[in-house]
Amino acid sequence: MNLNELTITEAKKKLADKEISAVDLVGACIASIDKHDADVHAFLEVFNDEAFAQARVIDKQRTAGEELGDLAGIPLALKDNILMRGKKATAGSQILEQHIAAYDSTVAARLKNAGAILLGRANCDEFAMGSSTEGSHFGPTANPWDLSRVPGGSSGGPVAAVAGGMALGGFGTDTGGSVRQPAALCGVVGMKPTYSRVSRYGIIALSSSFDQVGPIGRSVDDVATLLRIVEGKDSLDATSTHLDETTIAELLHLEEIKGLRVGIPKEYFIDGMDPEVEARVREAIKLLSTHGAEIIEVSLPHTNVALETYYVIQPAEAAANLERYDGMRYGLRATAPTLEQSYRMTRGEGFGAEVKRRVMLGTFVLSAGYVDAYYKKAQAVRTLIRRDFDEVFKDVDVILTPTSPTAAWPLGEKFDDPIAMYLADIFTVSANLAGLPGISVPCGFAHGLPVGFQLIGKAFDEATLFKVGHFYQSITEWHKKSPWDV
Amino acid sequence: MAQNLVNIDHLANLARLDFSDEEKATIAPQLWSILEYVGKLSQVDTTNVSNRTYVTDAVNVWREDIIESCDPEIVARCLEAFPKKVGTALSVPGIFEERTL
Repeated sequence: MNLNELTITEAKKKLADKEISAVDLVGACIASIDKHDADVHAFLEVFNDEAFAQARVIDKQRTAGEELGDLAGIPLALKDNILMRGKKATAGSQILEQHIAAYDSTVAARLKNAGAILLGRANCDEFAMGSSTEGSHFGPTANPWDLSRVPGGSSGGPVAAVAGGMALGGFGTDTGGSVRQPAALCGVVGMKPTYSRVSRYGIIALSSSFDQVGPIGRSVDDVATLLRIVEGKDSLDATSTHLDETTIAELLHLEEIKGLRVGIPKEYFIDGMDPEVEARVREAIKLLSTHGAEIIEVSLPHTNVALETYYVIQPAEAAANLERYDGMRYGLRATAPTLEQSYRMTRGEGFGAEVKRRVMLGTFVLSAGYVDAYYKKAQAVRTLIRRDFDEVFKDVDVILTPTSPTAAWPLGEKFDDPIAMYLADIFTVSANLAGLPGISVPCGFAHGLPVGFQLIGKAFDEATLFKVGHFYQSITEWHKKSPWDV
Repeated sequence: MAQNLVNIDHLANLARLDFSDEEKATIAPQLWSILEYVGKLSQVDTTNVSNRTYVTDAVNVWREDIIESCDPEIVARCLEAFPKKVGTALSVPGIFEERTL
């Protein structure tokens, strides 16, 4: 097996046993980048020399018997909206094309402390608005399984990097499905933690009541390992939650799912969904049932208005968050005779089409005369959506759905049709609206393209998602496939 | 109909966004169709349902406002990021427009 296709768990063991070095591991990832990234375009920038330098230091420390962090020598890809001190941070936007982060995000700081090697900045839709990574000002990312297709989005860069063996793991951000949906489309594991589980300090904000940083890995165990490093209270993000000490490692060894109640919401198997995708998800459900899980049909009645709710509240929050890009303190500034003209020109030149659409939409739903009919109405429906989940979780331990209604689509197919693009997130936005944790796990192929199922859990019950996902991966091999073997 | 609701120039002004005529012609029908799509929400009965939902049970907490010094490297990087500066001061276009008397 190639070193760059090891799981983090496997790589950590080989490093500890001194079977391989961190330099070997970085070298294998860089070799894959050199071979494939001209076609995939997962990375906007690779920190080649620094990665090797850091790996050499870690190898030396290991030889000297020094104590090392949990991720010492593990190469990771970070979405370009997660600040790394002294590195560019563009969020895929022209307005931040030359912007250099003045400080580390809490996520980056904690990963550095754990010894992780931050290999580069990975591509994304502009300001994380999109479902295909085609909205990046710096050009689209391709799906490693079929280079003529999208990787999903908005975290298409870090996800494609992991799928393509260019990094062992990574981090994206998930506001409406931006980690889980590309993970499904690229055949890797991607998670959105419970809202507030991971600090948002130093993350370029999209929509503050939805945004969560999410880990990406080849296996569920890797995603659990990554989450452990970054999660928990952070004094720099007042919304972050203090977590009691739970040991995910222990929970992962519970290989039994007998009697576990798995809810299947009927609203998530809809007309227009790819029948091959549905078939793969149904097979996964059947497999869990064969191993003793209790499958219970449930109903989340407001699912049919979840996407509508999301596309009112999300743009409203985005429009407010993006007010800061006015060209005054950092980023692009257009020269104009007056201050107001400078604002308008800076934003007009610096923002791409989807960002402008959402800023306009958000401005509309918050404007005088429409705020009650749109914004406040959507907030009330959000309450109903949350209540639906509360009701269902009285009867089940976890909910299982498809992650995406289709497999990866051809580049360009939906790019000029906003609603078609929004529909790609139809199964993922509800977890963000309700603040619940969700994980996408690979469960086979449709037309030669990866398919994933999604598990949604109770708030802060990531452990059950890991348990079910880990069990599923212990009896299947989907996550061990490489796009380069096809 | 959503068409009647959207005044592109008014919204563009509120959002401080410049649009070319071409962009306006594209974005207007897109906004109409998105607003028509999300308009389905009006059919949901939300009588007596709170519109103040928050996804965690966190409540506001207070802390002392303590002034601390900032890492000089961060300060230097922030200064460096200024689009225009005079010494260590951020330079911006005048807030009040000049008037000829």
